[in-house]
Amino acid sequence: MANVLIVDDSSTMRKIISRSLRQAGLPVDEIFEGGDGIEGLNVLAGKSVDLILSDINMPNMDGLEFIKQARANGCKAPIVMITTEGGEDILKQALENGASDSIKKPFTPDQLNEKLGGLL
Amino acid sequence: MTLSSGVAEATKLSEEQVAGFIIDATKEVFGTMVMMELEDQYPLREPVTKFHCSVTGMVGLAGTYSGILSIHCPLEFALRITSSMLGMEVDEVGEDVNDALGEIANMLGGYVKMVLSKGGMDLHLSVPTVISGEEYTLNAMADNDCVIIPFVNDSQRFLVGLKLQKEA
Repeated sequence: MANVLIVDDSSTMRKIISRSLRQAGLPVDEIFEGGDGIEGLNVLAGKSVDLILSDINMPNMDGLEFIKQARANGCKAPIVMITTEGGEDILKQALENGASDSIKKPFTPDQLNEKLGGLL
Repeated sequence: MTLSSGVAEATKLSEEQVAGFIIDATKEVFGTMVMMELEDQYPLREPVTKFHCSVTGMVGLAGTYSGILSIHCPLEFALRITSSMLGMEVDEVGEDVNDALGEIANMLGGYVKMVLSKGGMDLHLSVPTVISGEEYTLNAMADNDCVIIPFVNDSQRFLVGLKLQKEA
């Protein structure tokens, strides 16, 4: 069973992602949450995480900076961007910063299963 | 109500195409994230500026184009949307409603950005803003150069509007 960190400034979206992970039948144990990149880094400093799901467009520290700093701090867990930001250049930058893949909002539990099943 | 000529020229999209795009995006967001099926109605011909007992979620677009994507719901419908998204009963406007309406505006803004900016680096989305109240006036859709689509679910109606300008 995997521990998952969800980083998104929308509490509604964090709840939807949590619910969808369970509905998709993915082997998820604990789910941690962060409301921006800074909170995400704080969680990573104290918890063992097997998968990170992160938004891009967030206040204080956006998702691109978050994954860059998470990797710089030694985080090896796969990071999947879950975002409305579907532009090729932004996703390319996310991959360059250390992201593993991306999922576009809105999404279905089946789409989560398809993208994340191989990572857990 | 019409799409700005500068936007139409730059995007090579007609007003009907933009309206169709807003309809498809809104139905997809509501179908997957809100679990609601929607019916669309003909785009409004007159601007809308005054709202009564409503909640409005907005995201700004800035860069090669500037504009605002907004969703305007009667209070009761905003509570239904939020309850459905969270999977729990929400009966008063507060942080949950603001967050839910803001996130819907954010997802719709993301669709607009994808159409207007293939790479995504030349057009930026703002963090969502949500306002609500018994009576308020918004100038975001006061001009004629915007597209406003009404949607209906279970006899309750709400509006999605897009105002866009091409920057020099």
